[in-house]
Amino acid sequence: MIYAIIVMLGLGALLGVGLGIADKFLKVEADPRVEKVSALLPNYNCGGCGYAGCSSLAQAMVDKEVSTFLCKPCKADKKQEIIDYLASTPGPDGTTVNIKG
Amino acid sequence: MIRELCTLLVTSVLINNAILNQFLGMCPFMGVSKKRNSALGMGVAVVFVIVVASIVTYALYYLVLVPLHIEYMKLITFILVIASLVQLCEMFIKKTSPSLYKSLGVYLPLITTNCVVLNCCLANISNGYGIAQMLVYSIGTPLGFALVLYIFSSIRERLETSEVPRSFLGNPIALIVAAIMAMAFSGLAGIV
Repeated sequence: MIYAIIVMLGLGALLGVGLGIADKFLKVEADPRVEKVSALLPNYNCGGCGYAGCSSLAQAMVDKEVSTFLCKPCKADKKQEIIDYLASTPGPDGTTVNIKG
Repeated sequence: MIRELCTLLVTSVLINNAILNQFLGMCPFMGVSKKRNSALGMGVAVVFVIVVASIVTYALYYLVLVPLHIEYMKLITFILVIASLVQLCEMFIKKTSPSLYKSLGVYLPLITTNCVVLNCCLANISNGYGIAQMLVYSIGTPLGFALVLYIFSSIRERLETSEVPRSFLGNPIALIVAAIMAMAFSGLAGIV
């Protein structure tokens, strides 16, 4: 039994280290605004906006694919916070996003 | 020897096909067969995962588990190896091809639980294959999977433009197509 434990621990550690190294090389540069906006959205993933989920809508807003605020279940204060955040925070290309309420 | 290996290759690709004969991996077979490009991407991802997973699990089994007499651990160690490989594959596809990553969607992490992969690793052990046989079998099985997935997606693309009775639209007609394909492939059983 002791061998079973050692083998599983060793294998887990080995694969974990391998994936950790792979993550360094294969990291995808994501716009930090996407994460912030999707945290402010309700995260019901209702699909009412026409996107696959809240993070897809956040991505679309940051990419300027949408010009109006499409999320219906979002609370008014959160909605204003998202609009203000996007209007005041420039992305990697130095431009801000203006979403109509 | 070469003759035997060729027979094994033809058997694993066409006759003992993972999808149509053993009914493994039905989930991506139905899920990612709507477009040829995503079917091809899925096929390549599965080929990569199965070939690497088979080699690693085979080595692990005979070099670690058997000498330590813990053969009963093979299921959990194999799953651990497969899951890590799928994770690596997912990171790689996410980095290199975001569009393929998007079109594969949830079916990419689901390769982890794709029974073709685990079946291939376990069959290598339970059939008592040597190294050459193991390599041929673990290349043939995913190739058969990719081939059938690609043929099926081509038929489904063609179906999009054809007139299908209303009650058969979508998945029902796809299942009928799969059944006819399985019958067609069973006709190949006599060639070896």
